[in-house]
Amino acid sequence: MSFLNSVTIVASPRPRVGKTLLARLLTDFQRHENRAVSAFDVNSGERTLSQFLPEQTIAANIRDVNGQMALFDRLVAGDGTAKIVDLGYDSYDSFVALAHQIDFVEEARRRSIAVAMLFMVTPDQTSVAAYRSLRHRFTQALLVPVHNEILGSSQHRDKYPVAAVGAPSVRLPVLAPGLRKYIDNPPFSFAGPDMGNAVDIPVDAHIELQRWLRRIYLEFREVGLRLLLADLQTSMRGSGP
Amino acid sequence: MARPAVILVGADKGGVGKTTVARTLIDYFGAHQTPTRAFDTESPRGTLKRFHPELTEVVDVTSVSDQMKIFDTLGSADAKVTVIDVRAGLLSSTLQALTDIGFLESAKKGQITFAVFHILGPSIASLEEIAETARVVGDANYFLVKNFVNNTTFFEWDPATYNSYFKKIKGAEEITIPKLNEMAYEQVEVASVPFVSFVGNKGAKGEAANYSFVLRGYVRHWLGNVWGEYDKVKLVDLVSPKMESNVRQVAG
Repeated sequence: MSFLNSVTIVASPRPRVGKTLLARLLTDFQRHENRAVSAFDVNSGERTLSQFLPEQTIAANIRDVNGQMALFDRLVAGDGTAKIVDLGYDSYDSFVALAHQIDFVEEARRRSIAVAMLFMVTPDQTSVAAYRSLRHRFTQALLVPVHNEILGSSQHRDKYPVAAVGAPSVRLPVLAPGLRKYIDNPPFSFAGPDMGNAVDIPVDAHIELQRWLRRIYLEFREVGLRLLLADLQTSMRGSGP
Repeated sequence: MARPAVILVGADKGGVGKTTVARTLIDYFGAHQTPTRAFDTESPRGTLKRFHPELTEVVDVTSVSDQMKIFDTLGSADAKVTVIDVRAGLLSSTLQALTDIGFLESAKKGQITFAVFHILGPSIASLEEIAETARVVGDANYFLVKNFVNNTTFFEWDPATYNSYFKKIKGAEEITIPKLNEMAYEQVEVASVPFVSFVGNKGAKGEAANYSFVLRGYVRHWLGNVWGEYDKVKLVDLVSPKMESNVRQVAG
């Protein structure tokens, strides 16, 4: 299992912590790596993932069973696609409860689909408790704390322990001041012509954005390797004496 | 050798979920490798038979020949557990017939294990059935089943009413069937398969099916809770005391 056949959930019970930005980056990272990708936007409001990446993103809701089926039945379809869920804070509790109730992670693994959860860390107790609960409930998923540097330094790292020594955490570096305006108006893709052929982004800004992207993509590659490694370890344990 | 066990699932009121409960019982015993057969008294068409055709026979429980088919074969049948899904309105008369043929006497002597699953509706009339049924059931294992599949309430908001019915039957045990999501319930109905087959994504003949993963998840979770209720009253030990019980979770 790897990113090739995976579900990555970008989550936090808190608003405005950078979930959608991370989901955009991850979606475009998969496109950059020439992987088939589908994104699911479980958000309401403005500047959502489906507004930024309308061609790659399906708007989803889990308020009723039809919506739940439309989302989760797609997520467990083993179609060799990297799937990304941008989980809004207002749907966080119901999504987690439902995923736990219907054994989502176990079913995905049965279908050889890797599940990773990228959790945006913040120092508040709600987030710390939510992270702890995810670790407890979804033991078969790769739980990765994400430190968004724009929210401050990583001094609360100890509140978000990783599953094992060497397990990854993701660092979302701060974008240099003044560059945000180039990427914050939907639709916008880091992988598409918006970046590649950008005529309205000055050369210096373009270079800085590329540098920023490379740093983040490096972090994502580490997560991809971890998914692969976790699968290899599981296989080796399974074939042991 | 374990003595035969008979489980009567019934209510005098219709539409309270008798067949649903009978289906969960058959699935439960199947998961515990307890050989089970069933009789469906919705003669002539049958409802339970649609879901468990291999195990179920449609009978007219008021006819003597069909009573013989059920009760004269208890000792010789391969199945040690017999589940009888009693049609609405026939619970009292069926219990009376069991008294008349000496079946309840055999149960009292310990020759047969006998249990009644009395499925309750939300009305006072349904609650009044409890006292009447309890009187006939006597020493049998008497389970009062509150079935919330239909969003029923049972007067918990009025403790006086509740206690006057639920608490006065000595020895009766309560079983609560939780609510199952309507769409999930309907899809199992449409599929016409046992709940465990639906959970396992299997069709009526064991072939691979393509049910919604979400709905299967709802059914699995619900069935696990129902079986938890049966575990709580030690149902496997009741029908098959010498058999080890090691199934506690619904198979994924």
